[in-house]
This record gives sequence, C-alpha cells and structure tokens, in this order.
Amino acid sequence: MQVVIGWEEGPRGVRPAFVTDPASARGLVFDERCTQNLVPYLSPRRTHVARLGRPAVVVKGCDARAVAGLVRETQLKREDVVVIGVRCGGVVADPTSLEALSPATVSDRCPGCTAREPHLADHVVGEMPPPPPAGSRRDARIAELEKMEPAARWAFWQEELGRCVRCHACREACPMCFCERCVADKTQPQWVESSPHPRGNFAWHVTRALHQAGRCIDCGECERACPVDIPLGLLNRKLAQVASEQFGHVPTDDPAVPSPVGAFKKDDPQEFIL
Amino acid sequence: MNLYEPYLARVTDLVDETPDTRTLRLAFQEPELARTFDFKAGQFGEYTAFGAGECTFCIASSPTRQGYIECSFKTVGKATTALRSLNVGDTMGFRGPYGNHFPLGKMEGSSLVFIAGGIGLAPVRSVIWNALDLRDRFRDVTIVYGARSVSDLVYKRELAEWAARPDVTLRQTVDPGGETPGWTGDVGLVPAIVEKAAPSAADAYAIVCGPPVMIKYTLPVLTKLGFAADRIYTTLENRMKCGIGKCGRCNIGPVYVCKDGPVFTAEEMAKLPQEF
Amino acid sequence: MNGRTITHAQLAALVADLVAAGTAVTAPARAADGRLDYRPVTRLEDAVLGDGLPRLSLKALFLPPTEPLFAFRLSGSDVAIDSVPTSFPPHVVLGAVPCDAAGVQALDKVMGWDYRDELWFGRREATTIVSVGCSSRDETCFCGATGGGPTATRGADLLLVPLEGGFAVEIVTSKGEALVTAHEERFGPAPNEADVARSRAALAGSRVEPVAPLAPVTTWLAEHFEDPLWADVALRCHGCGACASVCPTCHCFDIVDEPEGVTHGTRRRNWDTCQAGRFTLHASGHNPRADQHARFRQRLMHKFSIYPARFGELLCTGCGRCSRACPGGMDLPEVLRTIAERAATAGGAA
Repeated sequence: MQVVIGWEEGPRGVRPAFVTDPASARGLVFDERCTQNLVPYLSPRRTHVARLGRPAVVVKGCDARAVAGLVRETQLKREDVVVIGVRCGGVVADPTSLEALSPATVSDRCPGCTAREPHLADHVVGEMPPPPPAGSRRDARIAELEKMEPAARWAFWQEELGRCVRCHACREACPMCFCERCVADKTQPQWVESSPHPRGNFAWHVTRALHQAGRCIDCGECERACPVDIPLGLLNRKLAQVASEQFGHVPTDDPAVPSPVGAFKKDDPQEFIL
Repeated sequence: MNLYEPYLARVTDLVDETPDTRTLRLAFQEPELARTFDFKAGQFGEYTAFGAGECTFCIASSPTRQGYIECSFKTVGKATTALRSLNVGDTMGFRGPYGNHFPLGKMEGSSLVFIAGGIGLAPVRSVIWNALDLRDRFRDVTIVYGARSVSDLVYKRELAEWAARPDVTLRQTVDPGGETPGWTGDVGLVPAIVEKAAPSAADAYAIVCGPPVMIKYTLPVLTKLGFAADRIYTTLENRMKCGIGKCGRCNIGPVYVCKDGPVFTAEEMAKLPQEF
Repeated sequence: MNGRTITHAQLAALVADLVAAGTAVTAPARAADGRLDYRPVTRLEDAVLGDGLPRLSLKALFLPPTEPLFAFRLSGSDVAIDSVPTSFPPHVVLGAVPCDAAGVQALDKVMGWDYRDELWFGRREATTIVSVGCSSRDETCFCGATGGGPTATRGADLLLVPLEGGFAVEIVTSKGEALVTAHEERFGPAPNEADVARSRAALAGSRVEPVAPLAPVTTWLAEHFEDPLWADVALRCHGCGACASVCPTCHCFDIVDEPEGVTHGTRRRNWDTCQAGRFTLHASGHNPRADQHARFRQRLMHKFSIYPARFGELLCTGCGRCSRACPGGMDLPEVLRTIAERAATAGGAA
C-alpha cells in the first residue's frame, strides 16, 4: 500500500488523512467523531488522490457499502484496495463537534443502524461498541412528511429545495456519484436545467434521488456537504424504502448482491418490462 | 446598457471551410451600429445562437472590410452546433469586440511572418487581410500555414488568392499522410516548414496561432531564426463566459485572457504559468 | 464618532416605516429549519442582529444564485430581445455581518473595471447596508487578518454597535446619512463615547486571530504557482464548491440559455465555481485545470494573489464560512498558516 486513507485530528475535530509514511500512521484515529465517509476518495475522478498510489481505506460498516457499491458497479477492483474496517457504535453528525455522542448529537443515519460490522473488510479493528439508539429518525421524519397534506408537503420541499444554489456539492461528496459526465452536466440534450430556480432545483434533486434509488448506501455525505442544509437524506431514504418494499433490496456491503437498477428478476413488480 | 445583451446580427453568408468548420458572415441589424462598428485585428467576441448560448471566437475578418464581421468555428458543442444550423438571413447575437489586439500599427515598416495551424488561421487571417489591404505599409509578407490534411485547410479560396499574389510568400503544408494526389504544397509539420522557409528575422514580426503543440515547437524555430521573444505574437484561447473580466473563468495565473489578452508576445507567454 | 443612537423600539419603528414606504428590508432571519439566512423581513422581531453568520453571504443579494440577463423571442428568422431592468427599487439590508459588507465592497472592483456590470451596480445603488457589530467569531474566522474586524465599516453605509437598550449608529457614507436624515425622528442623539468604546472592546475581545496578517502570503503565492504544497494541501478537497457557494467574495459565474418552448427563452447568469472540473473544460476535451489541486490553487491564488495584484485588495474577508462548509475538513486558516510559515522560512533564508 502506498497510501492509507483514514482519519486524523485536524485543527477542528477529525478529518480525512492521507498517510504515505508508515511513521505517520500513529496519527490515525477512530472515534465517534469520524462521520466522514472516505470512500469518495477512491473514485477514479480523484486523480490527485490516485496519484499517491495503491490505497488502503478505513471504513465503518456503512462506508463499506460504498466500497461494495464501487466494486459492484465496476468502478473499483476489490483487489486494488485494502479495506480496513472499524466497528462502529454511531458517529456524531458534525465531525468538528466537541460534544460527546448522545441521542442529541448522533448523526441522523445512525439510529437503527444494521451495518455496524464491516464484513467486507480485509482487516477489522476494535471491539464492537454499544449500539446507537434504535429507530430510524429519517423513517420517522418521512412518515411525518407523508402524513402532511400534499400542499403542505409541497411547501416544505419548496422551502428546502428553494435554497439550493446548484453547487452540486451533494454529488461531488457522494461515493456513488462517480459518473465521469453527470446527466446534469450534459447539454445535448440538456436534460436538467443548470439554473438554481425551482424548476431546475426540483429537476436536479429528483433526478439524483432516482439515480440513487437502490444504490445510495446512506452515508449522509450529500447532506453533510450541502452548504444550505437541504435534508437530502430524506429523499434518498425515501427511495431506499421504495427499493426495499418493491424489490426487497437493502444496502449491503456484499458486492455480489446486485442493485435493483442493475438487475432484472422475473418477479420484479414492473412486469410490463417483459 | 446591460453588458450581457448582445447586438443582433443577420447571417449574410456562410462557407463550409472543412467538413466540421464553418465561417459565418454577419451584419448588424441596427443601421447605425452597422455603420460605426469598429474593431482591431486579434479582438474577439461572444457569438450567440439564441436558445443554445454563447461561444467565444476571434473576429476572423479584417477591420478594413467594413459592414460585416466573420467568425469561423468547429462544431464541437451545443452552441457551435446551433450556430452551424443557422441559415443565411437568420438572426444571431454578438457581444464585443473584446480584448487586446495585434499591434499592427507598431509593425508598420517591418516584414510580417504569419504562421498558423488548422483553425488557428482564423485570427491570423484577420491580420493578414488587414496588412494586405494596407500592403504598402509593410515589407515582406510570408505565410506558413498547415493542417492535418488537405481537407482540413481552411479558407481555401483565400489561400489560392494569396498564393497567386506576387507580394506574398505562401507555404502551405499538410501533416504526412494528409496529402492528396494533386497536392502541390509541402508535406510536414508546421515548425519544420517554418525552418525550411527560413523567413528573415531582420526587422520582422512573427504572428503565430495554432494548436498548443504547434506553438510549442514553432517558438524555438523562430528563436533560432533570430526572432526576439517580444517580436513574436500569438493569441490564446481559453474557456470564457463573460469576455469582460468578471466570470473568473479564463485566468492563467494572474492574467485575465479576456482583458490582458487574447494576444500575447512569446516573451509574455514564457512568464505565464503553464496552465493553458 | 460621527453618530447617533437608536433604541430597539426606534429600530422597530424604522423597519415599520421602511416597509410602509415600500422599501424592502432584508435581515438575517431564521429559516424554517432554524438556520439563519438573509431573508425579507417586515418587522424587527424577525431579524436576528449580531448573532451569527447567515448561511449564504450578502453577495447573494447583489449577485443572485441565478438571474435573468434578458429574454428572447424567436419568430422565423427574427429575434427580439426583452431587456431586464438595471435599476432596482430601494432596499435596506439590516444587520449585515461586517465581513459580508466588506465582501460586497471588495467585489465592486471586479464588477466595475472597464465594463460596469449594471445588474450588480443597479442593486448596489438601490441598497443601503446597515451592518451590526459581530459577536459570533469562532476559530474558523479571521477578519482581523484581512483588515476587518467585528465593528469594521468597510462596505457598510451605517454600522450599529450594541448599547444597553439599542445601538450606537455610526454614519459611514452619505447613503447612510441619507437614511438617517429621511427618518430623523427614529434616531436619538449622539451616543456616549465611552459606552461605545466599551461595546466595541467587548466585541473585539482578547482573542488572537488564527492567521497572521496576510501580506507575506500574497508575496509567497506570486512566486509559487508551482510548488509541492499544492498537491499536498488539496488532497482532502472533493471539488464540491461548497466553499465558493458560501463565500462572500467568490463571484465566478456561468451564462446559460434556457429555451422555454421553441419560440422564446431566457439567458441567465448562474453561480459557478472554479472548484468544479467542468469549469475550465474546453469543448475539445482539453482541460487546463485537470486536477483538483490545480483548482484549489486557483481559488487560493485568486483570493490572495491575483485579486490583490490586480485590484489592491484581498478577495477574502476572513468570514470562515469555507472552513465550516467543507465536507473534507479543509481549513483555510490552516492553509494560510502553512503558507505564512513557508514565506517566513523563505524570507529568513534570503
């Protein structure tokens, strides 16, 4: 291995670290602040990281699903990366936070987590800590939104998506948004308007959510990267619910399990495809 | 006046230079503007195909030819595809002229050596005609022009015209393998042909435009021939949106290509970061 | 101090007066999710003054994330252009953060050199900026190192400094003075200078800026376009551009045509970012900044070298938003400290 991608103490909390010198490896940390998913750095688009050489990456169980996703979708050869897994009891939402892990500070994606053991890893480090609180907050919030009158729900999303400035930070920070040329950047034809007006913003976020259906590994990086705090996790989670209900798919760190958009089964609900 | 509003112009002529390169001639619709519009060789503009957007090209015609301007472009993206779909009589937009220019005034009384590759002849053509229309103000005029193949040569009618003129020395060349059976020009890369043509550097200026690799290998040849770096001019192409120093896209290090350029001397280019 | 005072009650009445007269008032206010944005307000209670940075900076009011440049109508071979107005109705920003006001002023330079951007200046002229002393500095911000401070007036027309029961009002520009004159009855007499000094000192606090003054950084950058530092400091960068979105001075934009049907459409100006690979991508496929470290370098160079060289001022007001927004944990003060150290070492060696 020529570089280990892990976490280190930065000037403000923990942050991604790129260790190329074995002596610096002692600077690597893992604790409840290590919320960042480091797998996006394995994307072929990160030429500046790829230049460092053959990588090892440290993953939580949830992040391991991103490695599996890249392998499943042929963006990464499993043998080209060494995966170091850490057992996780939940992480805080804000990696710069000084507050301890608690029901108040835990990342929205952690409660109810079923991916705390990184099965895919070549090496697993640490004992299994106690689990985060039970019960998905996102599921609860989605249930609330679904109970709303359509007009109120529409108003909610207008307010939230109305803030979008189309920086596409959600895409760039996403481990599964690896397309060399995103549909939103295509101009012939222009499928998605690039302007941050309501029409363009809805088109973009709906398109991205659909493209993530059954592929999103629920690491929350899009939501964390969003400079205007759009609750993108809700959109992705809703699509994950659909993938689960309709296709029986749950995010997994087994690369051999196909994603619902990458596979066809005779008993898929949309029988019209036949 | 809103800077981002283009002038309206009508396409008055079009020429297919190569299978993928077209020249449009446009005339401004506003009569007063059509009468007074002025620019200098080397300046550029933003050309609009309404509904598809703007593209940045130099003005390929000479300021001495009044009443119209021309642009030549390769069809590569959305806006150039839309520009290509325009017919004579259709309306397009133009903002400009922007940027600096070739200092032709300073070059008066000197010899001129024009070196171009591919569609890089477009900005050079503006200066060539400008100089030829004021022919008595300049000494020797030499043109070395090359393209990948015979079909990739642009402005073929004008090449013939220049070739026929006794007061112009024209060397045309195509890359090895790009020649056709009847080809009477040179075969070889532009830098090699420049070396062979060996234009005198005595009281001369060189104006060079073409692909980066052509420029890279032509500059040492010119140096060898005795051209000082401050007497070699080229024009840079960078992606732009506004053309007027605001949108932040065309910087090369500290340089705003749209405002400080697009025309630079080899001396200035050597000082730029290698990021273009 | 050239000034007046205003009580909370008077300020509330001023906002009511302005709104009644049809002047739009924008202030930091809570969005539905509880976070601060610059939002239209109609009453003072909704404004959050001097207590944190809005998510997006003040530049968004003058260079909106998207705006029409003009509309066009196509008819056969003809095109007609429908202009957009370049003059704007009066507007008051109440409670601008000083680093945001400074950012807007810094941008006047690029928006005005040679070619005057009438959409920018139309909004600038119509808008009176009332800044308020800032009490929310943290370890990511460094206004002091960029020539600002919690009660700096650069870019402000009026500055409010908190006092018991209200604010001292510093009149900075004639535009600010005009606002006071037009609403004379809403302002009190000059403040007690000692009270104002105490309030300013309290806002300034005793903290040490996380970055030293930046002149040596500017000098170093001009000579180090090529340096191993760039590949190193940019490793964490996702190229996501969140930094540019929240920045009070990042102003790169795109221009796009949006057809609506086949007969008409709009040309728009949209925010863009030099951190995106597509930003400099030529149609030919060539990309002068193909690598993320080149893009990160560009942003830093633009702020601390290119802009100062061209316009005599930094393109950064030290607001710290970029550090807070970065999903990769990049920290601008840290990068600037690293460069300052190298500059000092280089200086010592020379």
